[in-house]
Amino acid sequence: MELLRSRIIIGITLLSMVLMFGSALAQDADKRDVLDSTAVRVGTFKKPVNLPIPAQLDVVEDSEGDAGSSITVSWLPSPDDGAGKNNVIEYQILRSESQDGEYVIVGSASRGMTQFQDATTTDGVTYFYYVRTISKDGGANSQISAGIQSSPQWFNTKDLDTFIIGLIICAAVIYFIYHAQKGKKFFLRQIAGLEAVDEAIGRATEMGRSILFIPGINDMDDVQTVAGITILGRVAKTIAEYDTKINMPVSRSIVMTTARETIKQAYVAAGRPDAYSDDMVHYLTDEQFGYVAAVDGIMVREKPATCFYLGAFFAESLIMAETGNSIGAIQIAGTAMPAQLPFFVAACDYTLIGEELFAASAYLSGEPKQLGSLKGQDVGKIIAMIVILGLCGLYTVASISDSVSLLDFADKIKGLFSAS
Amino acid sequence: MHFDLGVWIGAFLTLGIISFLYKDNPWYKICEAIFVGISAGYWIASLFWQNLVSKLYDNLAPAIVALFHGQIQYNLLYLVAGILGIMMLLRLIPQIGWISRWPLALVVGATAGLQFINYLVSNGVKQIYNTIVPVFGPVSDAGGIPPVATTGEGIGNVIILIGTFTGLVYFFFSKEHKGLFGGAAKVGTWFLMITFGASFGYTVMSRMSLLIGRIDFLVNDWIRGTFG
Amino acid sequence: MGFWNTMLAVDRRWIFLLVFLSLLIPMFLGVTFKLSISPEVQTLYDTLEQLPNGSTVLMTFDYDPPSAPELQPMADAAVKYAFKRDFKLIIMGLWPQGPLQAEISVREAMKDPEIQARNLEYGVDYVNLGFQAGNEFVIQRMGTDFREAFPRDIRGTDYSEVPLLKNTKNFSNVDFVFNFSAGYPGTVEWVQIAVDRFGVKLGAGNTAVQAPLAYPYLGAGQLVGLLGGMRGGAEFERLTGFKAKATTFMLSQTFAHAIVIVFVILGNIAYFVTRKKEQ
Repeated sequence: MELLRSRIIIGITLLSMVLMFGSALAQDADKRDVLDSTAVRVGTFKKPVNLPIPAQLDVVEDSEGDAGSSITVSWLPSPDDGAGKNNVIEYQILRSESQDGEYVIVGSASRGMTQFQDATTTDGVTYFYYVRTISKDGGANSQISAGIQSSPQWFNTKDLDTFIIGLIICAAVIYFIYHAQKGKKFFLRQIAGLEAVDEAIGRATEMGRSILFIPGINDMDDVQTVAGITILGRVAKTIAEYDTKINMPVSRSIVMTTARETIKQAYVAAGRPDAYSDDMVHYLTDEQFGYVAAVDGIMVREKPATCFYLGAFFAESLIMAETGNSIGAIQIAGTAMPAQLPFFVAACDYTLIGEELFAASAYLSGEPKQLGSLKGQDVGKIIAMIVILGLCGLYTVASISDSVSLLDFADKIKGLFSAS
Repeated sequence: MHFDLGVWIGAFLTLGIISFLYKDNPWYKICEAIFVGISAGYWIASLFWQNLVSKLYDNLAPAIVALFHGQIQYNLLYLVAGILGIMMLLRLIPQIGWISRWPLALVVGATAGLQFINYLVSNGVKQIYNTIVPVFGPVSDAGGIPPVATTGEGIGNVIILIGTFTGLVYFFFSKEHKGLFGGAAKVGTWFLMITFGASFGYTVMSRMSLLIGRIDFLVNDWIRGTFG
Repeated sequence: MGFWNTMLAVDRRWIFLLVFLSLLIPMFLGVTFKLSISPEVQTLYDTLEQLPNGSTVLMTFDYDPPSAPELQPMADAAVKYAFKRDFKLIIMGLWPQGPLQAEISVREAMKDPEIQARNLEYGVDYVNLGFQAGNEFVIQRMGTDFREAFPRDIRGTDYSEVPLLKNTKNFSNVDFVFNFSAGYPGTVEWVQIAVDRFGVKLGAGNTAVQAPLAYPYLGAGQLVGLLGGMRGGAEFERLTGFKAKATTFMLSQTFAHAIVIVFVILGNIAYFVTRKKEQ
């Protein structure tokens, strides 16, 4: 009996040892696998290497307010990002269509980033993601996300505040256009330079020289060109009455036909249709500097008494204005291109700055749509002025008084204009 | 001596155009005529290949071929674009020129709609957002607003605020520029003129750079390139 | 008083001649001087430095030969820097001649022995998608799918057959956009659509005429950095270590500016002195 008991004890002991040894072997094997993938061999030993602390997945969701095919992956940055021994180089984002399936890299984000937008998904397909934090020693993986699908939305709620601001301005424009069409008279302040238009045309008539009219170098889809052609209508009416010559070289074919119609109508309205000629408006070239080279040639050869530059211009504006100045012509310019305004202001006698060009067009034509648009835009400017002054004052008061509640309130209102 | 015809033609045209600075002359007239003619021809070719062929023909032709095989492809919609383009060209026939107003209206409307949001956000809303700054106060990091850390920064904020506000006043057309409002508009004018001056100064650099490029061509590519 | 009247009446052709000489003579002096680096150029460079090697960079060449003296030097330096850093370079243009200007930059970069040694391969390390008509609407289409906007590259290869573009669907697969712009379409459109709608990181090189228009976007954080004109190009050349034409021509630029400043001052003094005399 004693012998049997001792043999059982020895057997159980041996069995336990075998089991424990086996388990240890298995663990060692696991460790070896890990070490094999990450260790650096030093002689006959494998030196263990520290991997970065992995980033943790935060939110994985269908991207908001888009046309689909996009999932946004967000994560909490690894503590080693910008700190720690294993400085993060980048994050890799991996994706699979099944939780246990093969994961492929769909993108990467630089260190410091905490979000990635995967815009290569197919709507209705379930995807699983994880983030791999990469340092020079290797990568460490986050947990795997739950399954997520991308889908389109009808409305981008992120832009709701922009939508409301746009709606207010559009409503104001429509309101004023409606009332202008009803015949209501709106006040527009005087625009210096407009009085000079008649004076400039009169000068050309007295000197017996022509008027040069340049409607810019953009096509009729540019609102500045439309404004320039509108003012041409007014100028054409006066020159038709005074029988002054006009020369209008253009760089767009559609502008040429529109301008011809405008001038022809003016001559017909003045009762002098025979005085009109298609040669008054002629096409040169679409090329910007080729156009201005030809215009310069016209200026020095024909020596017009008056030059109008009304429309959209680019780098050629200074060349034209300087040449016009050198021949002693009276020059009236108007453009909404901020980069070209300095040249016109320096070289021309009168300049319609920015929106004054559209105001002049509305003023001279008296067209309800143009007048209403101008008034509607003024509403937008009032909103901007009130918001800027009001919030600046609020922040200043909050800053002086160190009031957190006031700052929070100001932040909320300012956030409406962040457009993000 | 190394003769490169293209370089010599370039030099001839460059010097011919520059001769205009002295006075108008036949050499300039020749170069001007060449420039206008070549540029017009280049743009015709460019617009033909880049727009008509690449955008219309390359998209429409396979769809029409597929249609003959009984398949309806999405690119058949380019037929509509082609028809609108022809309608636009009818502008050149005075009797039916009114037809061109429809495609023009479509282009203007579509462009306005697409650009409305771009300009409203980038040039309007975001600029308002960045103009909202505290003009005076102690250094404070509360609420996430940039603290007025230095007097210089405070002065800078004041200048931005005054410039933006008075600029808006200048372009306000519903009120006459009289009294206090007129004074603010005058300040706005000063800000505008200072801005134009700074912009002009920047442009002087641009124009000088372009002239440097031409002189570099004449000196290095033409003279040194030809005569060593 | 005769001197000031003369100053007001000076024939502009003398001024043209003086400006021409002020640009020409320094070219033969062979002098370069140390440039201070503007904050906007430094931030652009720093942003590029922070991109890991092998990042995907989209370079848009929105200019033509008339603007090349200002923009080509900075574009050349940018392409060389991109190749040196092993960036995967995607080139495109919204102006017809833009991609051809890019080809000049690539050819210039390939002359560098260090870059030659990398044995860069077209289609694998860089690709030129060419020009596409449509202005800002091209950018809009690219926000959804680059392939819709550029079905083929400049050599006619189908988009799907270019190895570099295999995993590049739209802006979310691009780490940085570098725009060289001389006008419309250009930086303004890239900011309005690519940055504000699709959240790309954008740096820009502009002609000096366009640069003032881009500064509000820089201040608002919509641009990470800005190279303005030849001076911006010279500063960028200095930072990247690829000194070339922009650096060489800074002396000419400085002399010309000095001449202009002198005449502006003299002209204004003459104006006020003669006006006072008339009063």
